[in-house]
Amino acid sequence: MRISVTINGTSFSDEVEPRTLLSDFIRHQAGLTGTHVGCEHGACGACTIQLDGQPVRSCLMLAVQASGRSLRTVEDLAGPNGRLSALQQAFTDHHALQCGFCTAGFLMSADALLRDRAGTHLTEAEVRRELAGNLCRCTGYEGIVAAVLSVADPPLAAE
Amino acid sequence: MTASGTIGVGLTRREDARILRGETRYLDDIVRPGMLHAAFVRSPHAAATIAALRVPVGVEGLVAVLSSADLGGLARFPVTEPPGSQIEAAEAHPVLADGEVRYAGQPVAMVLAASRALAEDAAERVDVEYEVHEPILSPRESEHVMMRWSARRGDVDAAFAEAAHIVSGSYALARLIAAPMETRGVVAEHDPELDMLTLWCSAQDIHRPLAQLAHILRRPPESLRLIVPDVGGAFGSKGVIAPEVAAVAAGTLAVGAPVKWTEDRLENLIGAYQGRGMEADLELALDARGRMLALRARLRADLGGYLLTTTPIPPHTAGTLLPGCYDIPAADVQVLGTRTNKVPTGPYRGAGRPDAAYMIESLVDAAARALDVDRVALRRRNLIRGFPHRTATGLDYDSGDFERCLDRALDLLGPVAPAEPGEVRGQGVALYVERSGGAWESAEIRLDPDGRFRVASSANPHGQGHETTFAQIAAERLLVSPDAIELQFGDSATSPAGVGTFGSRSVAQAGSAVAMAADALVACGRDRAAQVLGVQTDRITHAASGFSASTGTVSWDSLAKSTSLGPLRAEARFQSANVFSSGAHGATVSIDRRTGALRVDRLVAVDDAGIVINPLLVHGQVIGGTVQALGECLTEEAVYDEAGRPGARSFLDYSLLTAADVPPITTAEVATPTPLNPLGAKGAGEGGAVGALPAIANAVADALGGVVVTPPFTAEKLWRALQEQSLRARGGEGSS
Amino acid sequence: MKPAPFRYAAPDSLAAALDLLAGGNARPLAGGQSLIPMLNLRLVRPGLLVDLNPLEELAGIELREDGALCIGAMTRQAHLLASAVAAAGWPLLCQALSNVGHAATRNRGTVGGSAAHADPAAQLPVALTALDARFHVRSIAGERMLPAADFFRGRGVAGLAPGDLLVAVEVPPTPRGTAAAFVEHAKTHGGFPTAGVAVLHAPARHSAIALLGAGPAPVRATAAEHALSGGASVDEVASLAAAVVGDDHRRAVIGALARRALEGVTT
Repeated sequence: MRISVTINGTSFSDEVEPRTLLSDFIRHQAGLTGTHVGCEHGACGACTIQLDGQPVRSCLMLAVQASGRSLRTVEDLAGPNGRLSALQQAFTDHHALQCGFCTAGFLMSADALLRDRAGTHLTEAEVRRELAGNLCRCTGYEGIVAAVLSVADPPLAAE
Repeated sequence: MTASGTIGVGLTRREDARILRGETRYLDDIVRPGMLHAAFVRSPHAAATIAALRVPVGVEGLVAVLSSADLGGLARFPVTEPPGSQIEAAEAHPVLADGEVRYAGQPVAMVLAASRALAEDAAERVDVEYEVHEPILSPRESEHVMMRWSARRGDVDAAFAEAAHIVSGSYALARLIAAPMETRGVVAEHDPELDMLTLWCSAQDIHRPLAQLAHILRRPPESLRLIVPDVGGAFGSKGVIAPEVAAVAAGTLAVGAPVKWTEDRLENLIGAYQGRGMEADLELALDARGRMLALRARLRADLGGYLLTTTPIPPHTAGTLLPGCYDIPAADVQVLGTRTNKVPTGPYRGAGRPDAAYMIESLVDAAARALDVDRVALRRRNLIRGFPHRTATGLDYDSGDFERCLDRALDLLGPVAPAEPGEVRGQGVALYVERSGGAWESAEIRLDPDGRFRVASSANPHGQGHETTFAQIAAERLLVSPDAIELQFGDSATSPAGVGTFGSRSVAQAGSAVAMAADALVACGRDRAAQVLGVQTDRITHAASGFSASTGTVSWDSLAKSTSLGPLRAEARFQSANVFSSGAHGATVSIDRRTGALRVDRLVAVDDAGIVINPLLVHGQVIGGTVQALGECLTEEAVYDEAGRPGARSFLDYSLLTAADVPPITTAEVATPTPLNPLGAKGAGEGGAVGALPAIANAVADALGGVVVTPPFTAEKLWRALQEQSLRARGGEGSS
Repeated sequence: MKPAPFRYAAPDSLAAALDLLAGGNARPLAGGQSLIPMLNLRLVRPGLLVDLNPLEELAGIELREDGALCIGAMTRQAHLLASAVAAAGWPLLCQALSNVGHAATRNRGTVGGSAAHADPAAQLPVALTALDARFHVRSIAGERMLPAADFFRGRGVAGLAPGDLLVAVEVPPTPRGTAAAFVEHAKTHGGFPTAGVAVLHAPARHSAIALLGAGPAPVRATAAEHALSGGASVDEVASLAAAVVGDDHRRAVIGALARRALEGVTT
């Protein structure tokens, strides 16, 4: 089956089998290997991308289901000339990544969270709950939570 | 911070930008022309003889089905023999099952096809006939001993005979799954003209996989090239190649095409070697004043169906570390590793260290209860205070200040607040020593005409931040900015020789090699500058501006550009005995009386990793390790049913903690430098995973009034312990 | 971990979908948050997947004139969770949903899919059981409506025959002033709970208690409901609710959860 999707603003068309997972399509057919596959059963969140602006697990969609839709992956987060976004910069400032395999999923989840919740106060407990769909085996989450809170708008009220 | 302002600074990582932009290259991102994909036929049985294997025909995309018979001539896994141990090398793991299977999930045949999906389709149609046997699941029931080690020093029997108190305890740790976010995998490609087999492998380092493959494939190491790309975590689980990796290497040679195997999560959960799986009976003899006189221990390890290369290491490490931080003059420790019908065990973060710390620290708490003395006072009375110290198990501790770690942890932990209504509360503290460093690593350094220093290290990162840390070390020695330094790792064609990345040893060994190589480059620079400036070498001073004498200054940059004498280069190899990190961790926990649900209220981690190169990264290691220990305490356990089938088949069965499950963690550091290396650095990679486990376990036992429960501390286990406790004595709430 | 091969169809009408499902060896694909993991693990291998995602007629939340909330089977969990209408009249649904998976799974996961999978550890079936929801099932033979007790039949077993499709869930209104609480016990945040309790209570008018983890399907604790209506104490009601559970530890957990839930609706 031939499908056509927009990924990071560029349209991309290719043949897929019905059983081709969207995660495999993004990685192996569109060649965007920044999205990682950690479990292929929707439990780890490493493959999280944004589908029409909303975070979804790309291992839990068939590629055919994305036809005609707009996808955003980690490769789209940095600005011109690779300048890191505020969230990406916060991740490095707070040592929010070690092996880096889960990082893209966290970024795509956190980017959507910050957008959805712009203008409302995010607490640390909320950030922890909202990021609970992404697993990290290296960091213990401390740096990740701190990074997301550091770029929340409005900033976290002093407690 | 030292004079040049590089070591001791929490620089953010140079590794990060590439990762954050999605520009990394992990194993599954590697594609070779004409590449086939492997899937494996695995035993559904824990113990069986293979009666027949029938290969399907006419399956779409199928290229080959290869069994042990098709890959003839392969050796079994090489097995490391820990010092003083006896190993049954005949029990080594075969690449593919050779007539029998000893655990559910064991690879029986390899299917090569045009895609992974097609390979899985074909694998389902390989028909294997099994004669199923009764599995052995408990290490205590097994008669097959695969590994033995013992240590005996001092007059243990006399000590026990004279002891005022003898305290005993039995402790066990479940098997755990390392579960790095990136699973294992390999891409293999053979160049027939050069007869060079190149393997991209998701591994901790290049050296050990290369040695293992050379042994198994019976090929000279020079005919193998090992490349380690970006690695998505390992935690000990990628130090030994998967049997599947060896099968893919052999399969590539057999079919003459590149082959990829990316382990999927199910394969990783059932087929990757697991950690822990140890139990021990301990006895401690103490005199009337609470001085420890002797330790007796019988430690039994559930090694699984076969020996992989490092399967004997964790039980040996646990046995040697059993005395912990205590000055125990006599010990009789026996370690027995037995065969069971489960996937083999091997190193997982801590690799014997958490096991030992959990056992001795639980026993010390039990002793305090039995003697009715304060847990902390009993510890203080017995701490090792002089270094070097030889333990009764034969280890030489180089440095440490155990009491300072303990004091700091107690400070941070503070007094335990009264329990909320309906809860019992407990507090625990535990000390640990972490064997790190040891053996050798090497480094090469070169000043290129572009003015940049290129450092090739034998150690390989998989998330720790070697690029940043090693650049800091080199910069400190060269008196240049870390930005002027580039690091190179992970290709056996270009990397210097070494041992590997494991056991918290990279900074101590490979970092010291980088420091020494940089020192050697400074010496070369001094020689060159002396020639340029026309003075004796000893008249040259080295500073941030370069090399100076009364006649002038020569900068690194000008040395780089003066190519007539050839590039400046130097190398170094560093070797030392083991160095010993240490620390004290504390925990406060609450248990719901009605449900048994455990809440870890707070954790305190005080670690002594010696001189710290980058505190930001060390903090990351401590927190990450601590949360892995917390997972071990709360949820993680690789369970098997009565037929030996693994119960953990997805992340729904094997629950990793989420951000919402982690309590506040307070850290502090103590820095006693080791005298054994030029950096004074010890290891920081495992301390969190070692210290938090006994601290939480002691807090739980405290809350339960001394009842010992085996981790993970599930609500059901704690509820049953509370029931038992309230039956025995009403109202015995824990306190510290 | 790749699915076995299957054919795929994305019909453009409900009628076409029902025709395809009637053809045998076919399975509807809703949000895919349960089905696709099962496909990837090859635990299921349908010949044909009928993708319901293009069928907008199956998605949406409607407040009917009779006061019932009609939720299209393809309504995303995130959509229901954010619905002001649902929050106002059926807060139990939102409380249960906030515990279901994570934002990324709720964005795809549907109300109908969660119900039809009848996972004994799923929160939504328990909330729907407490709410006396009715399940609209269609096939080429026609439409029928099942009460929760007939819809949730066992572990992964819903009252759906081959060719059947759950098209909507109808939730009747609760009396004015009904308080709701959903509490659960899970190993990790967002993981499947091992026990849970849903409670609805309007003093002297309405009481409903449904349990998660008390059996292979949601269980109504009817004796506890009667006691609650009769003004019994929280402890008494919680004990009665827990009494339906066989295993002693699970009984203790459900009792404690029931107590928490009841305290939430009675104070």
